[in-house]
Amino acid sequence: MVRVRPARLSLDDFAMATGLHPDLVRRLVALGVVDAARDPAGDLWFSRGQVAAVARVQRLRAGFALNYAAISLVTDLLDRIAVLEAALRGARRPGR
Amino acid sequence: MAAGQDFYETLGVPRTASQDDIQRAYRRLARQYHPDVNHDPGAEDRFKDVSEAYDVLSDPQARRRYDAFGADFRQVPEDMDPETFRRARAGAGSGAGAGGGRARGARGSPGFGYSTGEPGFGYSSGDVDIEDLLGGFFGGRGGRGSRGWGPIPGADQEAELEITVEEAYHGTRRSITLSGDGARATLDVNVPPGVTDGQRIRLAGQGGRGSEGGANGDLYLVVRIAPHPRYRLSGRDLYLDLPLAPWEAALGTTVAVDTPGGEAKVKVPAGTSSGRRLRLRGRGLPNPRGKPGDLFAEAKIMVPPRPSRAERRLFEELAAESDFDPRRQP
Repeated sequence: MVRVRPARLSLDDFAMATGLHPDLVRRLVALGVVDAARDPAGDLWFSRGQVAAVARVQRLRAGFALNYAAISLVTDLLDRIAVLEAALRGARRPGR
Repeated sequence: MAAGQDFYETLGVPRTASQDDIQRAYRRLARQYHPDVNHDPGAEDRFKDVSEAYDVLSDPQARRRYDAFGADFRQVPEDMDPETFRRARAGAGSGAGAGGGRARGARGSPGFGYSTGEPGFGYSSGDVDIEDLLGGFFGGRGGRGSRGWGPIPGADQEAELEITVEEAYHGTRRSITLSGDGARATLDVNVPPGVTDGQRIRLAGQGGRGSEGGANGDLYLVVRIAPHPRYRLSGRDLYLDLPLAPWEAALGTTVAVDTPGGEAKVKVPAGTSSGRRLRLRGRGLPNPRGKPGDLFAEAKIMVPPRPSRAERRLFEELAAESDFDPRRQP
């Protein structure tokens, strides 16, 4: 059976997917740790990629006892490094 | 490993290390092995070992007990006198390993009191969570690794998988051995025909383990195609040298070449010079989604290293007869 995966998640669905309390999710959005879009009604919507992003935030926080400002910085830097490493790999590939 | 690990060894500090040394060693190793920084599949286990060691050694009370009673200090009653313990241990004889069995495989076993706050063992993490804005949400379930977050999904991991050009062409199966939590798991990985260098193969749920019921991360195998003595690769296009005798290049010929897909015939047109690329359309690596790559045979004119007398005479004749000058500017 194929289940259709919606492109974006409501606050409740996102909270379910991440195992976090909706209040905590709202707090993380307010802190800028999680990206969310707000529709005209004021409801929050999340992209699927944010589920993995939250998991990384949880691991970084558990591993380093980082505060949320630091976590945002670290995740930004990790993302930038990933892009650079991918570019480096592409450049090193034997091409002609 | 974890089974019976020495916490000091894990952190790489002497038993006399100060709290500062221990903290410094932990921070350094944590930065190195955190699963979100280091995507190597082995890093996660290392990180867990390091965290476990730090949890004990950073807490002066736990450290004292660890020093006195060793790896299974959590099983020793609170009011046990170290001297009595040592004598009892020595008396139990060396043959059985004196209760070491309990320490082995301790991680994740019920006897391992990370967060449960075992009776009589007032353990609290020495690493106080500063400005935990959200501490109240989950009612203070202590312990590193959870910190009141509930289940945490595992990180994605990355490992390299080196295959040959031939395997990239035909596809292959590989057995990958993963070590995790002391156990080893072997996965049969199907590498489909036509993978390219740098392509990632996703093994869902085979990455870092989630904690407290969180989903596992994914393992990505990054395909590396090993350098090949005959073939060079650019994306799905294959290049190979096609050695030709001067007369074959001048007069034209048809040459059989080995390709990963079997023998192919290359038609060399008359008047071919070194460097000319002869294309065999679609004979490169297959493409599961679209056009396969091409194979390019690059003409490379070779001369007899030790010409016979007759060959020499014929070349001299040719040299006298021909007015061809390859260096002449057009």
